[in-house]
Amino acid sequence: MDYRDSAEEAEYRAGLRAWLEENVQSGYEHAASQQERAAIARTWHRKLYEGGYIGQSWPVEWGGKGLSPAMDAILNEETGNFNAPPLPGTAGYIGRALQMYGTDPQRTRFLPATISGDIQWCQGFSEPSAGSDLAALRTRAVRDGDEYIVNGHKMWTSGGQYADWCLLLARTDPDVPKHKGITAFLVDMKTPGITVSPIVLADGSPETSEVFWEDVRVPADQRLGDEGEGWRIAMTTVSYERGPSDIGFISTYRKSLAELEEAAAKKGLTSSAEVRARLARAYVLGEVLRLNVLQQLSLRISGRPPGEEGSVSKQLWTHCEQELQHLALDLFGAEAVTGQRPDYLHRYFMSRPISVYGGSSQIQKNIIAQRVLGMPRK
Amino acid sequence: MYALLNEEQLALKEAVDSLATTVGVANPIDLESREPVQGWDRLRQMGLLDLRRRDQGSPAAGGVEVMIVAQSLAAGLVPLPFVPTAVLATELLSLAGASESCLDEAVGTGSKYGLLLRPDLTALSFAADWPDSLVWGGADTRFVLALDSSGDDVRLVRYELSAPLSNNLSVDLTQGLWLTPTATNEVVGDPISGAQLQAWTALALSTIGADLVGIMRYALQGAIAYSRDRVAYGQPIGTFQAIQHLAAETHVTIEAAYGAVCYAAWCVDELDPDDALQAARTAKAYCAAVARTATENVMQIYGGIGQTWEHPAHFYTRRALLGTQLFGDESTQLAEIARTRLGGI
Repeated sequence: MDYRDSAEEAEYRAGLRAWLEENVQSGYEHAASQQERAAIARTWHRKLYEGGYIGQSWPVEWGGKGLSPAMDAILNEETGNFNAPPLPGTAGYIGRALQMYGTDPQRTRFLPATISGDIQWCQGFSEPSAGSDLAALRTRAVRDGDEYIVNGHKMWTSGGQYADWCLLLARTDPDVPKHKGITAFLVDMKTPGITVSPIVLADGSPETSEVFWEDVRVPADQRLGDEGEGWRIAMTTVSYERGPSDIGFISTYRKSLAELEEAAAKKGLTSSAEVRARLARAYVLGEVLRLNVLQQLSLRISGRPPGEEGSVSKQLWTHCEQELQHLALDLFGAEAVTGQRPDYLHRYFMSRPISVYGGSSQIQKNIIAQRVLGMPRK
Repeated sequence: MYALLNEEQLALKEAVDSLATTVGVANPIDLESREPVQGWDRLRQMGLLDLRRRDQGSPAAGGVEVMIVAQSLAAGLVPLPFVPTAVLATELLSLAGASESCLDEAVGTGSKYGLLLRPDLTALSFAADWPDSLVWGGADTRFVLALDSSGDDVRLVRYELSAPLSNNLSVDLTQGLWLTPTATNEVVGDPISGAQLQAWTALALSTIGADLVGIMRYALQGAIAYSRDRVAYGQPIGTFQAIQHLAAETHVTIEAAYGAVCYAAWCVDELDPDDALQAARTAKAYCAAVARTATENVMQIYGGIGQTWEHPAHFYTRRALLGTQLFGDESTQLAEIARTRLGGI
């Protein structure tokens, strides 16, 4: 056990910090529209690529650097410290799915463009009737010669409006048990029959999208993996969604807490014992999350693929962020509900879906109980 | 960066886990049959009493090893004063540069050293407060360590008891907290600096945190095993989502506590005392916030049988209640953390 950077990690961090001083992309947080934000994210991806900061722990043969997952975490942490736009997450976990399940021609076609940012991905998993019960998805893909014809309706396709390609899950066999009839596809978002429409979230901002698929023709060589392998691919993909990227959240969280402490002090609230205790508890929760994530990351460093333990981090992260936003509302309640602190209201509403997306808190508890603690299923 | 136990540390954990099953208590009747002197000898034979003795200035084992041992002994409900005597008294004597013979005595036959705590259990007590303080240690305690700040420096004071401890007030049936009997005292070793006391407090908080993680983890394991066998409505109760979610929520808090305790334990010997203390307060704040609920959830999963004297569930709850208070509960830690982050009021 050693929480310090190893010599290699320290060297990587120093190099990265020097690079960030010169190259960090600003303006993401205060972008006027989601469109502008997407454009900044795309430029940032390109810069990271040119600086050699994409695919740190990917195998070298697929354009990665073959570094320890610790470097992914350092990258997340330092870009967070520098207020950089978020790292291109979809490239990370969709890239993993391509590496693990793609054919050689698919890898050659998609991986370099995914790393360079020329292809921005979105994820077509959830549906109106398939949220937590993802395997109940109904979007159909029917084989027709060298193509599949896709019909259906996808929800919560984040970045759908700005993505170039989509990792799509569709049902190819309705006659087998639901987990076994699903197949994954790689689909060009410019294919005729695809319509993207924004979903406006509770705070009024269009944060994500729904996608309608109407007789969309997908070449058979864009099927990822075998027919019926889609569920396994989806589960691998989502397991890589968590982990080092949580570290990026932690640097953001620390900044939010420091801002809140400062605002509370300015308002004269920090002489109250109750406020002090709540701010200190927010600090404790952030630290507890950070230290849990470091243990998860250590598992990955020691060669374990991401497992169900990630559900624990997800629960802690959810609790941490939702508690912080409750605290902000409790300290600045009147300001938040009268339009004087729209930022607190926005962050509050943004903290609510955390316990729903990426597997709801209730689903996470099922996973922990059954797969981590080994409690019996009915 | 590597935030998990290495192979040597895992081997230590396994060895102490196995020892704990032989010297720990599995049910209330064991308390009468466990022979504390023999148990203490077993700890000594494994070298667990010397972890904080100094070899050329540095402790024989780090905070992480102490954490591993404290966690496993607590998990096994070992009714021996490993934490107050083998860890914290030894550490105090080492910091004060007490004589080797004094240290030999501390880890010799019988657990002879205890600590003097304030009546509210939040810190070591001062010699001037002897009559109102409590002794944290085993039944065979002969010497009690306290601080004395009446002069220019803080000194370590050793009380020699003129009669054995007889009045145990502890809620925890596996750890003693005693009224102070009559005793004589003398100053031991050199003055102790503020930084040394901070480092010592960091060790105390992280070790008590480890103790709490040990009982929470082991208690939950027991309840989960029970939920596989106990049948209601024709099914094992572990299949019910209400039980699964209760167990999952508890598991999340235990893993979270473990991560914080690991870091705090590592910090003890690796960071400056004030940073180590902040990490230790963070860990203790979290452990204290969740330990009672965790052991209550365990009692809840056991249902009726978990509320009885004959079932060991209350042992864990009792140890959680005491550990929560030792060196300050959540509010105490949060107040200190707030002071470092927000300044004084």
